[in-house]
Amino acid sequence: MDRQSAIDTILDHYENPRNYGRLDNATFVHEGRNPGCGDLVRLYVRLDGEDRIEAIRFEGEGCTISQAAASLLTGLVLGESLDDVLKMDEMLLADALGPEVVMNRLPCVNLSLRILQEGGRAYRQT
Amino acid sequence: MKHDFETPLDVAAVRADFPVLEREVRPGVPLVYLDNAATSQKPLSVIEAMNDYYRRYNANVHRGIHKLSEEATDAYEGARKRIAQFINAASYREIIYTRNTTESINLVAWTWGQANLGPGDVILSTEMEHHSNIVPWQLLARRVGCEVRYVPITEGGELDMEAFHQMLDELPVKLVAVTHMSNVLGTILPVREIVEAAHAAGAVALVDGAQSTPHIPVDVQEMDADFFAFSSHKMLGPTGIGVLYGKRAILEEMPPFLGGGDMIKRVELGKSEWNDLPWKFEAGTPSIAEAIGLKVAIDYLEGVGMENVHAHEVAITAYALERLAEVPGVRVLGPSDPTRKGGVAAIVMDDAHPHDIAQILDHEGIAVRAGHHCAMPLHQRYNVVASARASFYLYNTFEEVDRLIEAIYKVKETLTF
Repeated sequence: MDRQSAIDTILDHYENPRNYGRLDNATFVHEGRNPGCGDLVRLYVRLDGEDRIEAIRFEGEGCTISQAAASLLTGLVLGESLDDVLKMDEMLLADALGPEVVMNRLPCVNLSLRILQEGGRAYRQT
Repeated sequence: MKHDFETPLDVAAVRADFPVLEREVRPGVPLVYLDNAATSQKPLSVIEAMNDYYRRYNANVHRGIHKLSEEATDAYEGARKRIAQFINAASYREIIYTRNTTESINLVAWTWGQANLGPGDVILSTEMEHHSNIVPWQLLARRVGCEVRYVPITEGGELDMEAFHQMLDELPVKLVAVTHMSNVLGTILPVREIVEAAHAAGAVALVDGAQSTPHIPVDVQEMDADFFAFSSHKMLGPTGIGVLYGKRAILEEMPPFLGGGDMIKRVELGKSEWNDLPWKFEAGTPSIAEAIGLKVAIDYLEGVGMENVHAHEVAITAYALERLAEVPGVRVLGPSDPTRKGGVAAIVMDDAHPHDIAQILDHEGIAVRAGHHCAMPLHQRYNVVASARASFYLYNTFEEVDRLIEAIYKVKETLTF
């Protein structure tokens, strides 16, 4: 992916976020911020009887990369099992968004995945 | 662009002394270094002085009766005298080496603060402080039960002096801890007036000089501060060394900070006797090469002349503020009068997050800092999460400001929705 198409992808997700908004009947809701820049992501996750992600939506505010990554993440994890989500690698979103553009912004890139995994682990412990 | 601002410096000659300024960040994209409030670049003379110590006379100080140790000690203690002269301290005994401004302030909190403050006492600080002049006092307050209060700032980015005097009158203030120059707004505080009022109220005054010492002439006796803290790395020197200036009478009364070698005169298993000033506060092997590097950085700055450094930055900042004002949707936090502030422009843009701004500027070779710059309360005051900060120094040029402006237009092209 060249730099311009990576930027276009990021801007597309930022301007037209997928799965944006609240979700009723969520199994768990979890939010968090990046201390460095104040980026915020709140995830609403509904699991089915086999702990697969049946629905996921997000709300948030912050830089283009944190919000675009959250949008992208919601599409990637839909239908996945919580076990698989908890094992997801921190390069997953960076590779999908274009490492050349986002590699020095990993905390922004991974905010939403970190929130999802934190929320998933907290749900498992309850 | 054509403009009327003039600098007293031969900037091309200055730039030739800084090896890093020759580099490109990518092929064909020369570096524009505008992150000087975070740390400055180093002239070759500083780098070579530190190399020279390691190559020719590396030895521990105050210890060995041998040639190399004597040379190292002379250079290390000579640096202290040079620093005392640079800020016009009354004696080299008032110059304590630390790691940086942060450690200097923490030293005061752990020694003077711990010994002198208690329940009911107030530490008066401001809303425009760096975290290093907030958190040590919050921690101290938790330990001894005193309270930290903050003087508000005006919409224009000045300290609200009326509120300051009122708080000083009404509260049992024992310590006033203020910055000399804001690291975000660039505001230069009237420290002489602040210190005088603090003393009249019976309080001790600490001034955070991390941003002022590199950029404007500093005279601690004229300022009359009881404590003054600064870092080497922001003033052309190496990282790993900073200074706490303290008035001798206060330092004499203070308990030591860290315990260990070099800070004692005599140790018995039951008790110890502290060393004389300033070594009472300097336990363990210090940063020797770094002290020598700082001395050479001061030589460099005084060679140029601190008045000239400041005049150059006023000109560059005036030009930058004028050009930034042309760009729609761009706002600069803090005072708009370049003679009342340091060489800093904290930029907020409609529709563009500071991290996105910084990344696009980086692609154009321009280094700025994005975030809250360790001043979260200040950003909360202006209802912004963060800003993108361009900060200037003696080697920056008007052409680099032009490149900054061009890059900001690129940010707008990329991120306008």
